[in-house]
Amino acid sequence: MAPSIGLPLAVLALPFIAFVLLAVAAPLRRAGRAAGLVSILTMALAFAAALTVWARGLVVEATWTWIPADGGPIASVGLMVDSLSQAMLVLVTLVSLLVQIYSLAYLHDEPPASLGRYYTYQSLFAFSMLGLVLAPGFLQMFIFWELVGLCSYLLIGYWYERPAAARAAVKAFWITKLGDVGFIIGIVLLWSATGTFEFTELFDKAQSVSGLPLIMFLIYLGAVGKSAQFPLHVWLPDAMEGPTPVSALIHAATMVTAGVFMVTRAEPLFALVPEVLTLIAWVGAFTALLAATMACVEGDIKRVLAYSTVSQLGYMMAAAGAGAAQAGFLHLLTHGLFKALLFLAAGAVIHAVGTNDVFRMGGLFRAMPHTGIVFIVGTLALAGVPPLAGFFSKEAVLGGVWEAHLTGPFLMLALTALLTAFYMFRVVFIAFFGRAHAGGHPHEAPWLMRGPLWILALLTVLVGLRLAAGGLAGGGVEGHEEAPGWLAPLSVGLALAGFLLAWAMYQRGVIESARVATALGPLDFMARRRYGLDTLYAGLYRGIMLGFSRLIGWIDRYLVDGLLNVLSALTLRAGARLRGIQSGKAQDYVYGVAFGVLLLIVWAQLWR
Amino acid sequence: MTLETVGFWVVAVVLLASSLAVVLTPNLFHAVLYLAAALVATGVVFLLLDQPFLFAVQLLLYAGGVVTIVVFAIMLTERLVGERLVQTSRHLVNGAIVSAAVFVGIAGFLIRSPLDGARPAQSADVTAAIGRALFGPFAITLELLGVLLVVALLGALHFARSEE
Amino acid sequence: MIGLSAYLTLAALVFSIGLFGVLTRRNAVGILLGIELMLNAVNINLVAFARFSGNVTGLVFTLFTIAITVAEVAVGLAIVIAIFRVRRTVEADRLDLLRG
Repeated sequence: MAPSIGLPLAVLALPFIAFVLLAVAAPLRRAGRAAGLVSILTMALAFAAALTVWARGLVVEATWTWIPADGGPIASVGLMVDSLSQAMLVLVTLVSLLVQIYSLAYLHDEPPASLGRYYTYQSLFAFSMLGLVLAPGFLQMFIFWELVGLCSYLLIGYWYERPAAARAAVKAFWITKLGDVGFIIGIVLLWSATGTFEFTELFDKAQSVSGLPLIMFLIYLGAVGKSAQFPLHVWLPDAMEGPTPVSALIHAATMVTAGVFMVTRAEPLFALVPEVLTLIAWVGAFTALLAATMACVEGDIKRVLAYSTVSQLGYMMAAAGAGAAQAGFLHLLTHGLFKALLFLAAGAVIHAVGTNDVFRMGGLFRAMPHTGIVFIVGTLALAGVPPLAGFFSKEAVLGGVWEAHLTGPFLMLALTALLTAFYMFRVVFIAFFGRAHAGGHPHEAPWLMRGPLWILALLTVLVGLRLAAGGLAGGGVEGHEEAPGWLAPLSVGLALAGFLLAWAMYQRGVIESARVATALGPLDFMARRRYGLDTLYAGLYRGIMLGFSRLIGWIDRYLVDGLLNVLSALTLRAGARLRGIQSGKAQDYVYGVAFGVLLLIVWAQLWR
Repeated sequence: MTLETVGFWVVAVVLLASSLAVVLTPNLFHAVLYLAAALVATGVVFLLLDQPFLFAVQLLLYAGGVVTIVVFAIMLTERLVGERLVQTSRHLVNGAIVSAAVFVGIAGFLIRSPLDGARPAQSADVTAAIGRALFGPFAITLELLGVLLVVALLGALHFARSEE
Repeated sequence: MIGLSAYLTLAALVFSIGLFGVLTRRNAVGILLGIELMLNAVNINLVAFARFSGNVTGLVFTLFTIAITVAEVAVGLAIVIAIFRVRRTVEADRLDLLRG
């Protein structure tokens, strides 16, 4: 083991140790806050280690054989540290740390045993996500991919007594599993063609693989599920049933980005199949637009943010599809920061007001100025206003899509930018400004919650400034070089337009929102019903799965049981018939004797 | 056409006719009488085979004893005196087929066997030969037969007992 | 010249007729009559063989057969009478207590 592998290994091992400790030592776990402190401590150390790895620009790869075989190991495990994983290490550990600190305050009403369970899952999740990010090959990545999905299920369903939460957890698991089926098939096909799972080897051998487009498409399906691309995006809005810090961590900054990360990691492979890349770009852009339209009519603040996440994930995938994977990855990093910020701020609001419904909020800025400020900072970043981080990454994405001459996706993404600004400021105006409503008693959040909020807000600004100064060194992402000159003004203009629209509709009431809704009647109708996708899935499930199980039930009852019943009935009837031989009448028996004699005669004749 | 041949054919016809009558008559009494006729005819067959002793035994035991016993049994097993003793048979066709098949089977054996030869000369006193054989090689069998007859007698007595 | 085969054929015929009687008669006594015929046929066979082979064993056998037949008839009819006393019928179809 090379000495330089120690730090990345520590990053991975620390949350794992916390998980094992909390899982095994039940008294510690049931103590609640103590469990939280253990988890936070290990995460802080992991963050420090990750930061060191990034600062030093450590690049190393180490693998250990897992399944040995004659012609080289069938499967290995290991750590791959490069610019891509360095950045992810920092992002994951940072957001995890902030979220875990935040959770101490957000969940302080929970019974200690449940709180301990929460932190156990948090540690497990951190370990899984880090393992995914550090994976040197598809197999390890897939294993941690599934682990991350499991943690998502566990954390969405944290309040498992609530039927809605339980359903949402199962739904998330199922839908992502659909994508995972394609993923694993693709992985195995790739392995059977090249004989390896490891990325570095695959990059060399992939050219000679026949049927590569299909294989890469199947692998992409995994990203479709995990990163909530159309049509497998339906689980993400429902996943908001989980606690808000969970939404911030898993469904904004880390788990959902795994798909984008995977596509970026495997970029040399995807570059060999341009048709799949085009598909990725179109699907990504379409997803972005579709989700944005649904966010415009949503009243639940977390759902708005969820749709926004889907939309931004579409941006990232579109960039990857356009061949600008670096731009997409940059957006992943910045989005992770400000989306987590927005979720945590929303959590503070929900915690204070006691409802998710923005129409029951209003004028919160007066009562919670800190929260209001950071929320607006996040909104500006999301809308793509310079010099905040979001502007640069969004512009990079748009530039990349334009450079690839994908006009359709470009237009969709541009429209989405406008809508993004619109629906975010809509929330800002409805919730934070305007008339105050009576619900709850809005107060500023405790410092345990406010701290992470300010840190994230500050980082959003700082990263933005750094990007403005020209690229993040050692962050593995470059700023775009040759974007067309009109792109920056365009994106700012779109953001401004969205802001003005929202201001006109919701702050000033100049334009009646109801009239706009009727004007865009069909669209409004569809958007409110999520374009019928959920109904479609439920119908398919009921139709296909339940229909199938009814068919199987019928087969079991009528064919399998029927067969047995027929056999037994035949046996009974044959027995009844045979019983007739025993008539009890002597003369019948004489008949039998006579037959026997005849048989003997025949046999004797033949035997001559 | 010797006397022997004529005699044989006559006896054969009588025997067969009376046998058929035994199994076909509805009236049981008649059947018994026809049986008596068949038994006498059998005795005559014995005569034709130069066995006068057996002819006598046949008449005494069979035609005399057995027929008498059967007549008594019939009388004792009919419900009402004077009731017409009906005797309808069942499954005539089945029975006929089976019996015919058995006959065909036996006949098959007979056809294939070389059986025609002259009768060998017979010693004058067959009866004495039988007697000597009975108390010679077959002595034990004779004694066992006696035991059997005693057992049968006891059995019949037991069954004939009146209910107590 | 009446050969052995003639007697044997005659015996076979009587045997078959007796078998027919055993199979078709309803009355138990009628069945016994059929048995009598069959035994009779056997006797004819025995005597014929004894005559044509010069062996006296056949004749001794015949005597035994006759004696045994008589005993059998006696016991058989005693049973029939005993059954009649209990079941008031000697119809063979009705005597099926050993039915399966």
